[in-house]
Amino acid sequence: MVRNTTLGSRTFEIANIIVLGLLVISCVYPLWYTFCVSISDKAAANSGLVTIYPIGFSLTPYKEIINDGRFFNAFWISIQRTVLGTGFSLLMTVLMAYPLARPKKDFKMRNTFMWILVFCMLFNGGLIPWYLTIQNYHLINTIWALVLGGGVPVFDVILIMNFFRNLPKELNEAAVVDGAGPWSILFRVYIPCSIPVLAAVALFLSVYHWNEFFNGLVLMNTADKYPLQTYIQQLVVNIPVGTSLTPEQYKKLSELSNRTLNSAKVFIAMVPMLVVYPFLQRYFVSGIMLGAVKE
Amino acid sequence: MRKLGHQKHYYLMLMPGMVWLVMFSIVPMFGILMAFQNYNPGSGLFKSEWVGMDNFKYMFQLNDSKTVIVNTFIIAIGKIVFNLFVPLVFAILLNELRNLRYKKLVQTVVYLPHFLSWVIMSTIVIGIFGYYGVVNTVIGMFGHDPKLFMADAGIFRQLIIGTDVWKEFGYNAIIFLAALTGINLNLYEAAAIDGANRWQLIRHVTLPALTTTVVLLGVLSLGNVLNAGFDQVYNLYNPLVYSTGDILDTWVYRLGLQNLQFSLATAAGLFKSVISFVLIFISYRLAYRYADYTVF
Amino acid sequence: MKRNMAALLTVALLGLSLTACSSNDSPNNVKASSNSNANSDTPALTGDDLAFSKFPKPVDVHIGMVVDPTDKTLPEGDSVGNNPYTRYLKDKYNINVIVDWTAATGNDFKQKVSLTIASGKLPDGMVVDDRSFMTKAASSGLLYDITDIFQQYQSSQVKDIMASTDGRALENASYKGKMVALPNITVDTDGVHVLWIRKDWLDKLKLPVPKTVSDIEKTAKAFIDNKLGGANTIGIAGPSKNSFPYSTFLVSSNNMGGFDPIFGAMDAYPGYWLDNGDGTVSYGTTTENTKKTLALLADWYKKGLIDPEVGTRDNVGDPINANQTGIFFGPWWNGGYGNGDSFKNDPTANWQAYPVYSDDNKWNAHMKTTGSTYTVISKNAKPDVVKAIMIMNNALVRDESTFDLSVNVGWYPLRNVMAAANETEYEYAELLKVLKGETQPEDYNKPNSLYKLMYADAKKVKDVIKPPYDDLNVSNFSTANFGDFQRLYSIMIGDRPFTTVPIDKKVYSVTYNQTPTMETKWANLKKMEDETVMKIILGQASIDSFDQFVKDWKSQGGDEITKEVAELLKK
Repeated sequence: MVRNTTLGSRTFEIANIIVLGLLVISCVYPLWYTFCVSISDKAAANSGLVTIYPIGFSLTPYKEIINDGRFFNAFWISIQRTVLGTGFSLLMTVLMAYPLARPKKDFKMRNTFMWILVFCMLFNGGLIPWYLTIQNYHLINTIWALVLGGGVPVFDVILIMNFFRNLPKELNEAAVVDGAGPWSILFRVYIPCSIPVLAAVALFLSVYHWNEFFNGLVLMNTADKYPLQTYIQQLVVNIPVGTSLTPEQYKKLSELSNRTLNSAKVFIAMVPMLVVYPFLQRYFVSGIMLGAVKE
Repeated sequence: MRKLGHQKHYYLMLMPGMVWLVMFSIVPMFGILMAFQNYNPGSGLFKSEWVGMDNFKYMFQLNDSKTVIVNTFIIAIGKIVFNLFVPLVFAILLNELRNLRYKKLVQTVVYLPHFLSWVIMSTIVIGIFGYYGVVNTVIGMFGHDPKLFMADAGIFRQLIIGTDVWKEFGYNAIIFLAALTGINLNLYEAAAIDGANRWQLIRHVTLPALTTTVVLLGVLSLGNVLNAGFDQVYNLYNPLVYSTGDILDTWVYRLGLQNLQFSLATAAGLFKSVISFVLIFISYRLAYRYADYTVF
Repeated sequence: MKRNMAALLTVALLGLSLTACSSNDSPNNVKASSNSNANSDTPALTGDDLAFSKFPKPVDVHIGMVVDPTDKTLPEGDSVGNNPYTRYLKDKYNINVIVDWTAATGNDFKQKVSLTIASGKLPDGMVVDDRSFMTKAASSGLLYDITDIFQQYQSSQVKDIMASTDGRALENASYKGKMVALPNITVDTDGVHVLWIRKDWLDKLKLPVPKTVSDIEKTAKAFIDNKLGGANTIGIAGPSKNSFPYSTFLVSSNNMGGFDPIFGAMDAYPGYWLDNGDGTVSYGTTTENTKKTLALLADWYKKGLIDPEVGTRDNVGDPINANQTGIFFGPWWNGGYGNGDSFKNDPTANWQAYPVYSDDNKWNAHMKTTGSTYTVISKNAKPDVVKAIMIMNNALVRDESTFDLSVNVGWYPLRNVMAAANETEYEYAELLKVLKGETQPEDYNKPNSLYKLMYADAKKVKDVIKPPYDDLNVSNFSTANFGDFQRLYSIMIGDRPFTTVPIDKKVYSVTYNQTPTMETKWANLKKMEDETVMKIILGQASIDSFDQFVKDWKSQGGDEITKEVAELLKK
């Protein structure tokens, strides 16, 4: 690297370090803030006094969570959903990406299928028909509605497909000469060559499944089936416009507004992502690089 | 002969995915018919009264439809532009860092917000921009009166765009960082020997290396100009900011699931799909023509 | 078993006396009961015998239900479909409750109901909290016409309560002349909004109780200047992001944190359809008086008297419960039920309720409709299931006061409150008699009373409220049983103005329902109204924008709707 030691350059470097440092702080602050609220005194948190450090100290929310079966239940459902959903979608995605990565001369219908895929990515019948369909398959209120609902993420199919297309053609040709069929080419040659991009896609899929709340809300019939994000979402109560409340309802709602407890739950919900992603960092970095940018 | 044999296997491989698409994507698509009906849940999809284009006509008569379309465009385009520009600048700044451990630390930390959901982020954003939040505390130190950010329709869009960029800039920078690692170091050395200063290096070596990526990403994001981000807006907005913050997706949601206007909601959704489809098609052609890039 | 028989017998006897006067009510009655005899093998029962009859074979009732995600009162091992209330229904009436789905109060529930209606597959019964849901389901032909079965199966109590509304409740629950839902009926006082103020703060500053709008302004300023609620004292709390500055004809009650009494004191009734007395109607929001009141509120906001976070808070109760504020507006239950945490955080918080008067010393109040939630029954429900739902409602009305409330009564399936319209006033007056020793709790031991909670409250009142009784303050109350404290505080303090002070001008809306044009255009107009009003209050729009709003409102359907409402007047 070139050493450039003029005064302007030094100033720039220091400024740069500071600017990037501020950015780092801005990205860490949400975590810190949530944590501060979660361990602060309840009244202080509710009147919004907590900003950059905790006010008072109380572990009550965490104690409450430890005894809260519903929180852990939701947590467990999210884990199941993430594992099953990621596995299912990844398999589908890889199986579709390979034939679509074939040139048109090898696979005549390739473009037709590609356009069907893109069409399905862009058009949908809307929320209500989609709900009715899933209802007719009797998937409502089962974890399979959440697992299958993620289905075939067309975007990821395209990503893997592009990666496959960029693998050296010789790989394919050599395998064909050895007498390998498409299945063994896919599983013995392509997949082992694509671990980084598959890991990246697996990460995208699991982030999607972990963070998704809306399907959980719509497709699950009872609260004990909610995944974690849905569970948290419903704690941040929305009273719909145009509803009148009875005294009891109101009372319940004011009890819901419990910032310290909610923050503690939010904080715990963040933990799995915090733990997992630094380890997968190099995969998603290389995955995005290789899949999205064609040389 | 062998090739035809392969074709059979290709179909087999596509089959599970296609079955899924038919079951979960194509079958529900018949619901689009609702957009041309006065859908009556008691009669069902095939017996409801047909009304032709009435729902679309009515939709465009509503003041709301104009508002939400404008909002959607502004928010989505704002996001596209700043989600290109900010990560680009960030990537260049990061590239200029000498201390590799610091660089690594910065990289790791800025990816973090991307992995948190808007359900979680919204609680935090509302906390930070609240009346007694940290932003108002800082403003207060400079002697200004605190502001109600979440209720101010005048800045809600900026807030939406800003928080989205903040959440995603680190992650979006990955692609630029990747392109930067591909630059031949000799280019810098040669330029430095010619007496180029740091700014000239960035301008004449770094930036040109990123141009293709920027153009490509810009073109590809064309398909997103009607995607202003349901999760984010849904979790952050309130009736006070509908005038600037309500977007197509949230509007469709409220029409369908709060006002029970099923047909109107479907019509609005279909409108969005059609426009998006056209835009994606255009971006596909553009990417192919100007960047020689086949998207799919 | 023996106890059950005894209960049945009493009920039967009481029922007899009532059927005598109700049996020749309508010709439907006879027809309907002969129908039911064909369906079941029970001997011909009538009146309360029928209203509380036990099915010979178990009847499955599928329901959708709103639940409270934070409620922790269910005992270990119990669930939404198996708890003391469902077991009670099973044991006493052979009704099997099967919960098809649940959703949390608020948006989640609304969304679930919408999806259910959209799919056309309603559970046998569910309670919806918006009349437009009921009418949409009814107009789609998804609802059971319960006109006859209700006539036949209503208990005498339910009948009396329905009658206490002069037919308004029945009309409210009907669509095109057919009864398609069980309405809830709530007390009238839910719609009368009063000033809630910290009397202890007033005393500290030696200030009198404010009577008029300008008194309130001075008081709020004094509270802020003296920092009685800490550094961030809020003068007057206001609506949250989910509630409204005033209640409207569609949601005409229970507007905690709104400014209804201020509007009333300015003789303005926004959100209500007003009878001009000459065959025309006007919409209250578009009047000059509303404009004046908005200008006043904007001025207050600018002066910092109103909560700066008004309109964006998650929850109306936050500043009240945190004891940051000393003034807010709302109905009788807002103090006590509505702000329990305030008392927990500061046991000396002496919240008191008063009317707000106009400058010429009048108390003007807008009045509510009968109720706004509806038990709807699926068209596909079997007749026995419909009957079971009637019985569930009868049983709730009769027995709610006897339930062990350690398990939240919200878990009662299809709970939809029916109370006599003047229940709270009655209780206020009678409980005062009990306190003063003029009556004894046992005097109220009447199992079929219209005032179903009276006896239970009479037994508790002396444990909760300590003498002297002529001027009740928070110091008179014991919070040992917090639930009892909340209820009695709300009745004795919160309902005191409505019970003891005559309202000078009661304003009813010409209609409390949507007209046909409203079904398509109201959402848009309402949105425009909400935006304009909040923006004016917050100073984001000048008061002059009000005139433009009125113009737009009229041209975008307001005039058309006004005509429709005027038509209703002719009936």
